[in-house]
Amino acid sequence: MRRTLVIGVVLCIAAQSSIAEAGDRKIPNENKDYADNRSVLGEQLKLLSAGAEAIRSGRYDDGIRLTTLGLERDGPNPFEKAAALANLCAAHAAIGQLDTAIRYCSDSLSLNDSNWRAYSNRSYAYYLKGQYSEARSDIDAAAALAPSAPQVLQIRGMLNEMSLRPRIIMEEHR
Amino acid sequence: MARRAVLLGIATIGALFAAPRDAPRAEEIDPTGIWNCLIYASPVIGDERVFLKLSADGSTALLHLADPGARWMPISNWHRHRKRLEFGDARTGRDFDADLSAASLGGTWRTDTAEGGWWCSRASDALLAAARGGGGTAAWLAELVPAVTASPQYPSEAIREAKEGRAVGCFSVNSNGEVVDPVVVELSDEIFREPTLLALSRSRYRGWDDDKVVRPDCRSFTFRLDAVY
Repeated sequence: MRRTLVIGVVLCIAAQSSIAEAGDRKIPNENKDYADNRSVLGEQLKLLSAGAEAIRSGRYDDGIRLTTLGLERDGPNPFEKAAALANLCAAHAAIGQLDTAIRYCSDSLSLNDSNWRAYSNRSYAYYLKGQYSEARSDIDAAAALAPSAPQVLQIRGMLNEMSLRPRIIMEEHR
Repeated sequence: MARRAVLLGIATIGALFAAPRDAPRAEEIDPTGIWNCLIYASPVIGDERVFLKLSADGSTALLHLADPGARWMPISNWHRHRKRLEFGDARTGRDFDADLSAASLGGTWRTDTAEGGWWCSRASDALLAAARGGGGTAAWLAELVPAVTASPQYPSEAIREAKEGRAVGCFSVNSNGEVVDPVVVELSDEIFREPTLLALSRSRYRGWDDDKVVRPDCRSFTFRLDAVY
C-alpha cells in the first residue's frame, strides 16, 4: 500500500510537469517552477492536452489512448512531441509497463535531451525494475539539468536507500 | 479542571522553551579548580588521562597520575576571552581551547601537525589527595570497561541524502557505570547529533566502588556509506 502511494506521488508529479511542458511552447528554463504551471493550452494540441490531463488525474489508460491519438493527429512540433512521449513514459510506468515506459522516455530524449522529466521518469522505471545502475545514471542526468526538482531529489533518495549500505565505525577514547 | 489546564499549559510552554540538551548555556563554567581529564587524539598519537589544575591566579598545571612520583607540571597560564578558555602546553606544543558555555570543561587542542579534543569532569583536592595516597587510585586509573555499547542508528534522511560524517561525544561515567551528561563536542553535520547522543545515553560501563569518583570519557563515531550498486 505504501509503495503504491509512493509510486503515485513520484509519477503524478512528473506527469503534471510534463503536461505543463506539453502545452507550453516555451523552451524549458532551469529556474522554471517544477510544479504544475497552468499554461494556456492551444486548440491544436487538443488531444495531447486531454491526454495529459487524464494522466494527471490518474486515468492512465485514457491518457495513453488520447496522447497516442494526439501524437498522430495534433501535429506537435518535436519539442511538444518529446513532452508527450515523456507523458506516455510516466503513464506506462504508473501501470507497471516498465519496458514500454523506458522506450517512450528514450524516444522523448532522442528528440529533446534536455528534458529532465524524461530522465527522471526513466530513472524511476529502471528503479522499479531493480536496474539501479541505469537508474543512477538517469537520475544524475536529471539532477544535472534540474538539481532542485523535488521529483529528482525523491528518486535519488529512494535510490540511495537501495544502493547505499550504512556503516558506523566507533572509537573509544580511553 | 481549569487550574489543571493552566498548569498543563505552563508546563507545555516551559518545555517548548527548554534549551536542547546539547545547546550552549547562557551561564559559563567556572574553570578554576582541579579537573580529571581525557585528552584524546588519533589512534596514532593515542589518548592521555591527566589531572588539570586551573588556579584563580591564572596558573595552569598538569599531573599524570599514572607516572611514578607524579607531580604537577606547570604549563602556560590560562586566559578567558569571550566565553572561551585558552592555554598551552609547551612540552607537547599543544594549544588548548574550550567553550565555557558547554556543559562541562572541554574542547579542542591543536599543534602544527595534529589536532584532537579534551574533556574533563570536576575533581577536588581531597579526591586527588586520596588518589595519590593510594585510596581509590584504582578507580581513577583503571581502564573504563564498556558493559553495554550502543551503536547509533544511521539516520534514514542521511542515507537518502548520501550524507557521511563524524561525531565525537564526551560524557562522565559515574560509579554505577552510567553515562552522565553526554555532549557532542565535534560534529560534521547536525543530522548525526541525535543518534550520537541516544547511543551514548544507552551505553553502560563496568562500575566501581568509590562513588565519589566520576570519570570523563569520549567516543567517536564515523558514519560511512558503502555503495553496493
